Amino acid sequence: MASNRTFTSPALTFELVARCPVTRARASILTLPHGAVNLPIFMPVATQASLKGLTPEQLEATGCRLCLNNTYHLGLKPGQEVLDAVGGAHKLQGWNHNILTDSGGFQMVSLLKLANITEEGVRFLSPHDGSPMLLTPEHSMSLQNSIGSDIMMQLDDVLVTTSPDKARMREAMERSVRWLDRCIAAHKNPDTQNLFCIIQGGLDLDMRRECCREMLARNTPGIAIGGLSGGEAKDDFCKVVAACTELLPDLKPRYVMGIGYPEDLVVSVALGADMFDCVWPTRTARFGNAITKHGMLNMKREMYAADFGPIEEGCGCPCCRPTEEEGAMGITRAFVHHNAAKETVAAHLLTLHNVWYQLDLMRQARQAIIEDRFPAFVKGFFGNLYPDRNSYPTWAVDALRGVGIDLIQT
Amino acid sequence: MTVDNQNLESGAMRFEVIKAALKGGAAARLGRLAFARRLPIDTPNYMGVTSRGALPHLTPDNVSKHLETTGAYMALEDFIERPQQYAKRTPPIYETPTTTKHNTRLHSFTALPQSVTTVLSARRLPAVASPMGNTNASVSVFTSTGFQVLTTKEYLSAVKTLTPDIAIPPADLTHSPITPNSKRALRMAERTDEWVVDWFSELSDSNNPRISTFAPVLPVSYSIQWEYISRLAEDYLPTSQLSGLAIYDADLLPDLAEHCAALVPLPRLSLADPPTPHHILRQITLGIDLFALPFINTISDAGLALSFTFPPPTTTNTSSVSESSSSCTGGPSPLAIDLSLPAHATSLLPLTPNCTCYACTSHHRAYIHHLLSAREMLGWTLLQIHNHAIMSAFFAGVRSMLAQGVAQEGNFDEAVRRFTLAYEPEFPEGVGQRPRARGYQYKSVGGGEGRRNKPAWSKLDGKAQDEEDGRIEA
Ligand SMILES: [Zn+2]
Ligand SMILES: [Zn+2]
Repeated sequence: MASNRTFTSPALTFELVARCPVTRARASILTLPHGAVNLPIFMPVATQASLKGLTPEQLEATGCRLCLNNTYHLGLKPGQEVLDAVGGAHKLQGWNHNILTDSGGFQMVSLLKLANITEEGVRFLSPHDGSPMLLTPEHSMSLQNSIGSDIMMQLDDVLVTTSPDKARMREAMERSVRWLDRCIAAHKNPDTQNLFCIIQGGLDLDMRRECCREMLARNTPGIAIGGLSGGEAKDDFCKVVAACTELLPDLKPRYVMGIGYPEDLVVSVALGADMFDCVWPTRTARFGNAITKHGMLNMKREMYAADFGPIEEGCGCPCCRPTEEEGAMGITRAFVHHNAAKETVAAHLLTLHNVWYQLDLMRQARQAIIEDRFPAFVKGFFGNLYPDRNSYPTWAVDALRGVGIDLIQT
Repeated sequence: MTVDNQNLESGAMRFEVIKAALKGGAAARLGRLAFARRLPIDTPNYMGVTSRGALPHLTPDNVSKHLETTGAYMALEDFIERPQQYAKRTPPIYETPTTTKHNTRLHSFTALPQSVTTVLSARRLPAVASPMGNTNASVSVFTSTGFQVLTTKEYLSAVKTLTPDIAIPPADLTHSPITPNSKRALRMAERTDEWVVDWFSELSDSNNPRISTFAPVLPVSYSIQWEYISRLAEDYLPTSQLSGLAIYDADLLPDLAEHCAALVPLPRLSLADPPTPHHILRQITLGIDLFALPFINTISDAGLALSFTFPPPTTTNTSSVSESSSSCTGGPSPLAIDLSLPAHATSLLPLTPNCTCYACTSHHRAYIHHLLSAREMLGWTLLQIHNHAIMSAFFAGVRSMLAQGVAQEGNFDEAVRRFTLAYEPEFPEGVGQRPRARGYQYKSVGGGEGRRNKPAWSKLDGKAQDEEDGRIEA
C-alpha cells in the first residue's frame, strides 16, 4: 500500500511533501475522514467538546482542522448513551473537521488519586458518586467508537517517566503492547476511525526501542510517543523522541503526546515528530497569559494597563491583525488587561490569540521545511525568544546539534 | 415630529417619529434614531448592557457577526477603578487613541464595533446601592476596587473625553427598591436639576457636537420634579442641547406628555430595567422608544433560552414554542426554556423553532445542555447569541405591528393582550449553575453568587480541578 511518498490505510492517507535535508523535520499531508490536515500540526484541546469559550466557527477561522476531545471527560459528560443518541462528538459540537481522542487512561491516572492499574484495566472511583469503576481497553474503544473520533488512541499503561521502578516500567510497557492487541480486537470501526498505538518505556531508550518494534509489528496507521508529561528533564525528553523517530517508518504520522511549549514544538519537529497537543496554550490564556514570539506576557501586569498596542505586533489573529484588515477586532493589551480575570471575554480573546500562535508556528515551520530553510527558521525562532545566544537552553542546543543545527554558531 | 440636532456633516443625532397614535402623548410609537456613523436604530428597540465594556461572553467578532444589536449601554464606573498600588493613575480609557475603525475612545478601548451606538452613564444597570450616598457635587460609584467618589465634574470631563453617542447626565438616584420619602425625593430633583444646569453650561463651552444628552427623568412623582422638567423643556430644548430623555420610571410618561408636551418629540430611553417582555410591552404602550435590557445577561447566565415571539403565535397549538412546556394542558407557554434540564440531553432541536441565530442554525439543545452541565463557557456565549436574536426579533415584531395601517390601529394592543395570555408572567428560575461570579458587581448582594454553585469534580484532587474546570481564575 505504500509508495515511496504516500501511505494509505482504510481511514487515512499520509503523503510526505518535503523533508528537511539537514534535520529530521518533515512536511506532510494527513488526510483523515473529516478532511486533510497539514503536518506538522498543533492540535488544540477541546477537553469537553468545547475549546474554552470559542465557538467552533471561531476555532475553524484560526485554521484548525484537527482538535482533541478527552474520552474520559466525554464519557462522564455527556456520557456514552447521549453520544450514541446524538451521533457522536462531531455532531454534538457542530464540528465538521477532524477530532482526535485520547484513551481516557492518562486522565484517570493524572486526575484521580485513587486510580490503580491491573491487567484488566484502570480501576478508579466514579467522580459522580465514588463508586468503583473500571476502564478496560475494550471499554475505551467502545467509548471512542461512540465518540466517532477520526483518530483514537489505544489505552496504555501510563507511568510517569521519572518513576525509578524499572520493573514496573517494563511491566507498563509490555502491558501497553498487550492492551494494543485488545484495542485492535475491540475496535469496531477500523474503516472510518484510525487507531494509533502509543510507545511507552519511560526514559530507558532501549526499552523505548523495544516498544517501538513491538508496536510497529501491529501496523497501526499512526504512532504516538507517550508518557512524556513534562516531569522529565528536557534533554531526556529529546533523547526519547529522537530514539523513537529514528526507528519509525517515514510514511506514518508521528504524534508526541501532551507537549505544547513553543520551544518543545520546534525542537520536536526538528527531531522528526509531526503532531502535538497540549492544554497549556488555552489554560494559560485563562490566567491572562499571551504567548508571543518573544515569550509569554502576562496581561494582568500593570504595565499593560495603558498599552494600546495589539497583544502581539505582527500577529495575524483576529485580535491582533491590523484594524484595516478583514475580520480585525482591534483588541488592545489595555482592554485584555482591563478584563483579565474579570470578564470571560478576556479569556476568550487570549485563547483565540494563543491558539492562533500555536497553529501559525507550525504553519511557518512547515513552510520553512517545504522551502528548504528549516534550520534558518529554527535559528530565527530562538533568536526571537531569547535576548542572546548565551541564554538559549542547553537542552535545545544539544538536541538540535544532534540533528545538524548549531544554534550557537552562525 | 422630528428632533434634528444635525450640524451639517458631523451631525449628532436625528430622531424621527414615523408613526404615533392619533391621540398623541403617551402611547406606542414607531420611529428611527440615527447617529452619524452608526447603524440607524428603528424604534421601539433595545440595546445590550455591557459589563466592563463587553457584552458578557461575547467577543467583538461575535458581536459583529451574530448580533443585530445596534446599541450598547456602558457605565463609567466599569472603567475608573483605582488599584491600590496605582491609586493615582489616570484611568487608561481616557488615553486610548481612536482609530479609523473605532472613532471614539469608548469604541476604541472596548473594541465595540463602530456601527453600534453607545450610551454612557455613571452607573451600571442595575447599579449597586452605595452605603455612602451621593453628595452635592458627587455620586458614589462602585468599581472593581470598591466604592469611590465620582465628582460630577470628573464625570462630565470623562464624557467629553470618551464621546459616547448618548450621554446620561448624573442623576441623584438611590438605586434602592425602597421609594424615597418626599424630602429625599425633593432633594433628588433639586440636585439633579443643579447638575443638569452645570452639565449643559459646561458642555456648551466645548466643541462636542457628537454627544447627545439624554436627561434623566427621576423615578419620583412628576409633582416633585416638575420644576426640573420644566427647565429642560424651556431652557434646553429650544437650544437643541437636550436630545432625549432617560426614563427611570415609565409610569411618568403620561404626566410628562400632559404637562410638558414640548418634550414629546424627544426619544425616550428606558433605564427602568423591565424584568420581562410583558413589562417591555407595557412601557412601549406608554411611549418608550428604546430600552437598555439587563435581563438578557442574567437570563443567559441562568442557562435559559428565551422562547417568546411577538406577535405571539396565533395557533392554539403552542407546543411548538417549547417541547418542555406544559403546553399540552393549554396553559401559557414559558418565556424561556431551561437548557439545564435533562430533557434536552439528546435533543437535536434548535433552541427555538424558526430562530435563525448562529446558536440555533449551527448547534442544538443537546450541545448547549452539555456545555452548561460541563460548565463550559461556550454555553453562555451561545445563549447570549440566541437571546439577543430573540430580543431583536421581538422588537422587529413590535415595529411591524405598529407599522400596520391606520385602519388596523387596534392590532398592536390586541397583540399585546394576546401576548399576555400566551406566555407565563415570569421567567423560570433556571436550575443550572451560573458562570463564576465575575468579580465585584455581585459582592454587595450578599456574596451568595460564589456559593450558589457546588464545587465540581469533588473526587479529584485540587490540582486537577484547577486544570480542567471551565472557569477563568480570579
Ligand atoms: Zn494575536
Ligand atoms: Zn436562536
